[in-house]
Parts: sequence; C-alpha cells; structure tokens
Amino acid sequence: MPNSDKKITRGSLLVAPSSLLLLCFSVIPLFMLIFFSFINGNIGPDGSIAGYTTNNFTMIFSDSTFTKLMFKSLGIGIVVTLICVIIAYPAAWGIAKIAKAKNHNLLIMLVIIPFFTSQILLIYSIMVILQAKGLLMSLLGFLKLADPATSILYSNVAVIIVLIYEYLPYMILCIYNSIEKIDDNLIYASHSLGAGWFKTFVNVVFPMSMPGLLSGIMLVLVPVTGSFVEPGLVGGSNGMMVGSLINSQFSTVLNMGYGAAISFVFLIIISIIMGIVRVLMSRANRSIGGA
Amino acid sequence: MSKSFNRVIKVIMVLTYVIIFLPIAVIILMSFNNNEYGMMPFEFSFKWYQYLFTKSELLPATILSLKLAVSVCLVTVIIGTISALGMQYLPRKILMFFQPISQLPIIIPWLVQSIALLLLFNFVGIGRSYVSMFFGNLIVVLPYVLMMVAGRFADADRTPEDAARMLGAKPFKVFVDVIFPMLLPGIISGALMSFMVCFNAFCMQYYLAPFGIRTLPIEIYTLVKVGYKPDLNALASILILMSTLIVLALNKLGYSAKKLFG
Repeated sequence: MPNSDKKITRGSLLVAPSSLLLLCFSVIPLFMLIFFSFINGNIGPDGSIAGYTTNNFTMIFSDSTFTKLMFKSLGIGIVVTLICVIIAYPAAWGIAKIAKAKNHNLLIMLVIIPFFTSQILLIYSIMVILQAKGLLMSLLGFLKLADPATSILYSNVAVIIVLIYEYLPYMILCIYNSIEKIDDNLIYASHSLGAGWFKTFVNVVFPMSMPGLLSGIMLVLVPVTGSFVEPGLVGGSNGMMVGSLINSQFSTVLNMGYGAAISFVFLIIISIIMGIVRVLMSRANRSIGGA
Repeated sequence: MSKSFNRVIKVIMVLTYVIIFLPIAVIILMSFNNNEYGMMPFEFSFKWYQYLFTKSELLPATILSLKLAVSVCLVTVIIGTISALGMQYLPRKILMFFQPISQLPIIIPWLVQSIALLLLFNFVGIGRSYVSMFFGNLIVVLPYVLMMVAGRFADADRTPEDAARMLGAKPFKVFVDVIFPMLLPGIISGALMSFMVCFNAFCMQYYLAPFGIRTLPIEIYTLVKVGYKPDLNALASILILMSTLIVLALNKLGYSAKKLFG
C-alpha cells in the first residue's frame, strides 16, 4: 500500500530529530564508555589522549576499594529500599483504602511535591533538622537521650536517612497505584472467610501489589546505589559510596580513564539488577492477569 | 477491616506526611526568622527576602538557571511534540525499538549519563561549555516530553481527526484545528515537567557547566558544602512554592500520579 509507505516515511521524518539527539547524546556516549575505559589518564578538553592501557580494569579488580564500595553501595541501596517499602505500604494503603475518595487527589499531590523540588534543597532541609542543636538533636537532648551539641550528620546513618527521605515519595506513589486497583470486595471476601489482617496482607494485598512494588524498587534501588551527592554532603569521611569514587576521578583525582572504567563496570552491574527486576515485573503482571 | 487496625494505619499515614513535610516547613519558618542561626528566639521578618532580591549572590545563578531551563524547555517541547506526532505513523516493530531508547536517559543513572557525555564532549574537543550543558540537560528532559505528549495520543478519541480528513481538510489544517488542541494539555504538562526537571538537574550541570560558571543547583550545593547562608532559606521557600504551583497545574491538566508513575 503506497499510502501506508508514505505514512511511515512521514513518521520517520518527524521522529528523526529526537532519534538523532538520543543517538548522539545518550546511546553513543554510553557505548563510547567502553572505549574511554582503555584511556590512560585524562582526556584533555581539546580531545588529546595520552595513550591506551588495560590497567584501568586490572586496577578495579586487584584493588579492593571498588569491590568494597560497590558492595557497600548495594547494601545501602537495599536497606534504603527496604525501609521505604516498610513505610510506604501502610501509607499507600491509608491513602488508597482508608482516606475518603475525595481526598485521594490532594493526598497524592502532596506526595509528588518533593519530586518536583530540587534534590539538593531536600538534602539541605534534612541537614537543618539533623544538625547539632537542630530540631532532632534538641528533642533527643530534652529527652536526655543524646547530647544536643553532637549530631548524627556526617556518617553513614545520615546518608541512609537522607536517601530514605528523598526516595520515599516514589515508593509510596508506585505502591499506591497498585493498591488502588485492588477490588475492595476481594478484601471483604478474605475477611468474611475468617482471615485476619496479616493473612489478608500476605495472601491478597501483597501479591496484588507486586507490579507497583517492583516498579518502586526499580525507581529507588538504582538511583540510591549510584548516589554521590548525598555521601558527599552528609557522609563525612567514612561515608563514601561507589558514586563518590566515580565522581572523585572527575573532580579531584582527575583520572578520567579509570573513572570511565569504574562507571562501565557499575553500569553493567546495575543493568543486570534492572534486568532481573524487569523479568520479575512481567511475571508478576502476568500472574495477576494484567498487561 | 477492624477499627483499631484502621486507626493504626491512619496514624502511620499521618506520621509519614509529617516526616515528608516537617523539614520543608522548618525551612519556610526559618526564612521568616530575623535570627540568623537556629530557630530561637523567633522574630518575624522579611529581611532575608529583601536581601535575596537586592544583594544576594544567589541571584545571578538563579537567573542563569531560569534562562537554561526556559531555553531547554522550549526546544525540547518543539522537538518532543513533533516526534510524538511522528510516533503515531510508525509501525509497531519500529516503535518497540524506539520507545525503550527514548526512555534510556532517565533509566540510566544520571551520574553515568553525565560523565559519559563529559567524556564525549572532551573527546570531540568541546569540553565543558554552555553548548554541552544545553544538550546534556535537553537529553534528560526529552523522555518526559515524549512520554506525556505521546500519552495524549493514546488516551484521546481519534474520530474527530478522521472526520476532518474525510471532510477534505489538508494535513496541516487537521493538525492546527484538531490534533494541536487535543495535544495541548500534554504539551503544557511536558513543558512544565521539563522546565522543572531541567531547573533542578544538578548532576548534568555539575559535570557540563563551563568552569567557574554556577547554575543554581551548583551554587546551592557549594553553599551547603562550605557554609550556610540565611537567605538560602528564603530562596528555598520560593522554589518550594514554585514546585507546589507546578504540581497543582499538572493536576489541573489531568496528570495525576497514575500517569507519572504508573
């Protein structure tokens, strides 16, 4: 059909500018990361390259710094994701099933506001709360639990608190979307058949909310594992994560080739995790009869 | 569900909202406090707002960030809308290939995306510059515009378009009279979203901004890192107000959480 051929040509022409941009500024740079990983030292701003080496990769696996930080970052990612899930379930349940229907929109909008606020400002606002003689420490001091002049800022705990604060809204929104779809009658049925709230959660609510939970995990685990701003601002000297190691190769140590190699290995690890979550997601969707 | 169980859930829900909004509320409160350090004693004043708009060092960075966000937003919305239109004519096979790639810049961690771009720009000899920063920010907001405008096509009733065509309207006229008004909420939402994301895209700007040039996120990062400025609270309050207004506007245009995170 010549008519549909014409349509396809027109479509391709219209999509061309976006495709070109995506190709030049996303796909090509990510693939070139492999090439940059073999560069010895820096690339000058004029494009000059000192030489090529395979040392970057040997350094990653012979030196334990990367392995340690990678495991630590994944650990922090898992802890933050878990705590977000634990807080988000009751909150999402409350919004979707207990709050009055006319308030749903407002409650959800409130959760979205932090998403549209600068990440650095959110970190700053938590720092104000956590700082010595700030709100939290004064309260703890008043209760005689801690010295108000000290602070948990500049530690791994502070990094975890800040990350939970930043990513909790994403988790609530994702789980809410799934819980909202659960038919109330299913829950009534489970109750009238004698199941308590715990049994109902395990057998009905949890499996039905699996797709939302998994997309929440995707939206939280990946960026948290790769974070570098939070450890830099509130982590102190022991708070480094793998993102800080990558960042330091570009801002202080200036060994871009090594930085590229770490990023490449990091990207592979993250992609494997994303792949696993995606497979689980399509399975979960199929098992509850969704798309 | 038992009453006591509902009560427990309600308490947790309220606590969650308190956790989310307490830090923000403290910042807003402090922006009206005459006292420079800490909370007490609280004396109401507009001092920091006056300072912010007259002699603050935060102002040039804010203006630069606004310029960047507006220009990136305009270009992205035009390119994104044209492409979303084109996506309607593409066969399924090509779309299955195009769609995941179009979401790539927001799936990949931004740290990796930014340094990959920095390396590429260095390699071709441009390095850190306004041009690099512009394209870096453009590529991370383009997926949102594509998603929101293409989403309008998926939701909308397409019969008026076919009707117009059958009644003999030329493609351009169909676009202006039928398609564009239908897309408008999606275009405005995409614009708001891309403006806000670009305005806050610290990572891209941190790696790609020319040496010595500070956009607002970089300026705030530096301030938080080296020391604290009381007029930062005033600026933060204004920015939080801005994001609240944008969320309200998106909601009016029909973009609820379901569309954004579904």
